[in-house]
Amino acid sequence: MADGTIAAPRAPDFAGQRANSLQRFSRRRSTIAFLMTLPLLAVVVGLIAYPAAYGIYLSLLNRRMTEFAGLLNYEILFDSDTFWNVAWQSCIFAITAVLAKALIGFWLAHMLHDIPAKGQRKWRGMLLIPWVIPPALSTLGWWWMFDPTYSSINYVLSIFAIPAVSWLGEPNWARTAVIIVNVWYGAPFFMIMYLAALKSVPEQLYEAAAIDGASSWQRLRFVTLPMMANIISITVLFSLIVTFANYDIVRVLTNGGPRDLTHVFASYAFQVGILSGNIPRGAAVSLFMLPLLAICAFFVLRGVTRRNKEQM
Amino acid sequence: MSIRAGNGISRRNVLRSGAGVMAAGTLSAPMVHAQGTGGTLRCGFWDHWVPVGNDILRRLCAEWGQANRVEVQIDFITSVGNQNLLTIAAQAQSRSGHDLLSFPTWEPASKAELLEPVDDVMGRLIAKYGAVTPAAEYLGKIGGKWVAIPAVSGTQMKPACVRFDLLQQHAGIDIRAMWPNRNERGPGAETWTWDTFLMAAEKCHAAGFPFGIPMGSFSDAVDLVGAVFAGYGASVMDARGNITVRGNAKLRTAIEYMVRLGRFLPNDVWAWDDASNNRALISGRSALIFNPPSAWAVAKRDQPAVAAQCWTVPCPAGPEGRFTPYLPYFWGIWGFSRNKNSAKALLEHLSERPQAEAQTTTSSGYDIPPFMSMNDFAIWATEGPPVGTVFNYPIKAHHQSQTSVAFAPAPAEFAVQAYTQALNTKVVARIAQGGETIDQALTWLEREMNTIKRGG
Amino acid sequence: MSATIAKSASIYSRAGSLASERRWALWIAYISLIFAAVIFLAPPVYMFMTSLKTSAEIANMTGSPWGVTSPTLDNYQVLLTNATFLRFFLNSAIITVCVVVITMVISILAAFALARMRFWGSQFLATGVFLTYLVPDTLLFIPLYQIVGGLGLLNSIWGLILVYPTLTVPFCTWIMIGYFASIPKELDEAALIDGATWPQMLIKIFIPVAMPGIIAATIFAFTVSWAAFVYPTAFVTTPENMPLTIGVVSQLVRADTYAWGQIMAGALLAALPPVILYAFLMDYYIAGLTAGATKG
Repeated sequence: MADGTIAAPRAPDFAGQRANSLQRFSRRRSTIAFLMTLPLLAVVVGLIAYPAAYGIYLSLLNRRMTEFAGLLNYEILFDSDTFWNVAWQSCIFAITAVLAKALIGFWLAHMLHDIPAKGQRKWRGMLLIPWVIPPALSTLGWWWMFDPTYSSINYVLSIFAIPAVSWLGEPNWARTAVIIVNVWYGAPFFMIMYLAALKSVPEQLYEAAAIDGASSWQRLRFVTLPMMANIISITVLFSLIVTFANYDIVRVLTNGGPRDLTHVFASYAFQVGILSGNIPRGAAVSLFMLPLLAICAFFVLRGVTRRNKEQM
Repeated sequence: MSIRAGNGISRRNVLRSGAGVMAAGTLSAPMVHAQGTGGTLRCGFWDHWVPVGNDILRRLCAEWGQANRVEVQIDFITSVGNQNLLTIAAQAQSRSGHDLLSFPTWEPASKAELLEPVDDVMGRLIAKYGAVTPAAEYLGKIGGKWVAIPAVSGTQMKPACVRFDLLQQHAGIDIRAMWPNRNERGPGAETWTWDTFLMAAEKCHAAGFPFGIPMGSFSDAVDLVGAVFAGYGASVMDARGNITVRGNAKLRTAIEYMVRLGRFLPNDVWAWDDASNNRALISGRSALIFNPPSAWAVAKRDQPAVAAQCWTVPCPAGPEGRFTPYLPYFWGIWGFSRNKNSAKALLEHLSERPQAEAQTTTSSGYDIPPFMSMNDFAIWATEGPPVGTVFNYPIKAHHQSQTSVAFAPAPAEFAVQAYTQALNTKVVARIAQGGETIDQALTWLEREMNTIKRGG
Repeated sequence: MSATIAKSASIYSRAGSLASERRWALWIAYISLIFAAVIFLAPPVYMFMTSLKTSAEIANMTGSPWGVTSPTLDNYQVLLTNATFLRFFLNSAIITVCVVVITMVISILAAFALARMRFWGSQFLATGVFLTYLVPDTLLFIPLYQIVGGLGLLNSIWGLILVYPTLTVPFCTWIMIGYFASIPKELDEAALIDGATWPQMLIKIFIPVAMPGIIAATIFAFTVSWAAFVYPTAFVTTPENMPLTIGVVSQLVRADTYAWGQIMAGALLAALPPVILYAFLMDYYIAGLTAGATKG
């Protein structure tokens, strides 16, 4: 009994110690984790979240930034044909360019994967070059190729007896030109991401599929694509964001012209905000990309987490 | 580029600048040191398109700094990719940066409340040199106060640069006889109107040497269309900010004229930038462009045969007068600067006639001084070949011409938005290229002007 | 008898059709690769051709734009003997190396914490990091200018080193989270049982195993900071502090007179360091990926 009374308080003591050390451990773990994410938090909060919040605040001011104007800037934009034009063009531009980049990248990754391993290296190197030249400079090169008076592309076309194209003068061709340059620059990135993903698909899966007598289309549909789903959706989302916010290419190639028909959000925001001295309205235009992309991001990221959970 | 020897620029430097932009553009360190007590003055000047244009500013500032014991630091900020506008916007927002900057056309007006008034400096200069070009006054004098000093370096006109041989051959116009390199009009000068111009454009187009007039959204295009509109007395907004698009017969006539002219231009002018017209001239494919002498200067370097056939003449006249496109720069001092007095002193020094002439001479006559009394610098008469080719580049009394700024006389804060969005070229393009009727295009223009006006 | 012959014949024909299918696939692969290479390389080749021309030849605009009548290396020589241009190179190199190092440290630490050490809000933060990409830099640059200006880092490469991580960190963190998450849980349990601390676990186990991912992220960070354009345009106005991209554009383009030969030479020279780097890293990158895949 005495033993028992002594033992009784000891037992919880034991348990308490264990709980304590566990608590300490977990506390330590989350402290370390927090410390480890601290630099990231500093970058995100100090250099992205705060400036973004400030940008949102700016968009609510009047042109001289002397008083609060509420949603006036958005209201004005909604009334403007040019703005709707820009919104429409941005969507077409981003979606077409990203689709083309993804398809071309996927196709080339496959082709690269098909050829013997020792030849892959030089092909890979060559095909990666567009992504390596800083786009601000390579776009100047493209622009020089599109130049109306001395277009080297038209020269090549003329060999095949195709009449000269007014690449940057005619609205639809100008849009095509902007998309071509964007795809040229971005496709190698997709290619390399997909190639890496392709290489990480276990060979056994294909062997199993071959034993089951799967056609090459079936192998692609039921083995390759599901294995690559995550990397495809992440690269597409990332590229969609970057393409939407793209500024260099439009600025160098067309500056939004002819007749504003190649402007995208970023270049238009720049024209309205910086060049015309209406910073709040420019900020409002910039902010417009956010909800559109946030919706895409929501669905893509949800899909990725779901697939990750299934795999786990 | 032809830069006369002298002015402390060695012949070797000149030759090097001919070899490439990089060689002369950035060789010497952009910092000018002087031992002194007057503090440090940080200047951001426009990075001159004529490469040696920077060297002369550097030298003038160094001289002034030494004499006044002030350390002058100079950055040259390019307008390529609108870097100068970015810098201005960013410095205005953060209230920090240089002491003084070069401000293009509309920026003094849009940043007026952040700039140090310079009425004292301008008062003294005007007393000495007489009136300032009216367009510079419209842009630099806001609410009765001078907010910036019209600059010499960078300020340009865009009169017509003509291939006189082609114009003679295909349109039968002897442009050199009309506008000789003397202070007088030649025979037929009064026939140099937009109507004559249209006829010449048609003939040269038929002959395969179309006029190279950009119709995109860059300044060469907007400025020229602005000058045509002014020649027809057309405006889209009056000085009080009222939109004057509806029922404006003069505006309609001017737009109709531009649409007709558009048919005789190369079919891709709608996408041309400020370099396309130069290339069209230099490659010998175009009989006429509107540009400062830089196009001719590059032709002299790369295609001398073309350059020898170029002659700069005033713009054609419209029913309401002759207007020449004008693109000025201003030197402005930030209100947050701590060296306002030395900044003012330096800028006054740079605006004096000897220093102004040095700048203009070094830039092959490119820079236009703001004071009309200075439109007689020797460089314009002597530059060549052919000698006298830029004689008529600055406005001379016998031209009976005025400087034009597109969208004047609208209040600057609205005009700048219309200008950067190139509403005047777009309204023409909508009809000529987009196939709209003139009424549709005018409705669009009115809506855009309303959008600009709303939200003050 | 006849049945067995028929059977073996069908096996042969099937093997034959497989082989011919392979051959066809190979042909198609090579044809598409050649086609893609021609299109992908046409602009760089044209840039190279232009960089060999004199200004006079460029202005002439007759004859084939793809040919060169009198090739010259003057454009390269002018650039490579020009102190300012070499300075651009050096600036870009310093900036890029610093940004890559900063980015990798930040994102590896954070990705490890977010992927392995689940804590309150970690899931939210991981998504939030990716969402920061939604904020366009045209919106950010004015507030950032104030921050950089407030720190006195305008016209300085350190200002750029401060802001570039906003372009690189989110995506690199995201890549690293993916890699760390794919490392089997058994590995860290074993390490914990052996008494390893979290930092030890990161350095001894995770970093070596995730090397392909780290290289992928490094390549990404390198490319982005080497090519960044909007921020340096706004934050640097003195030539001696400019990185290569903005330096070439602002010093060689004179708005209505382009020094095309030098611009193209400058662009190709600017592309050289990434090309060399990738030539070395790519093999390792792909090899690491395949190795990782067979292990997994």
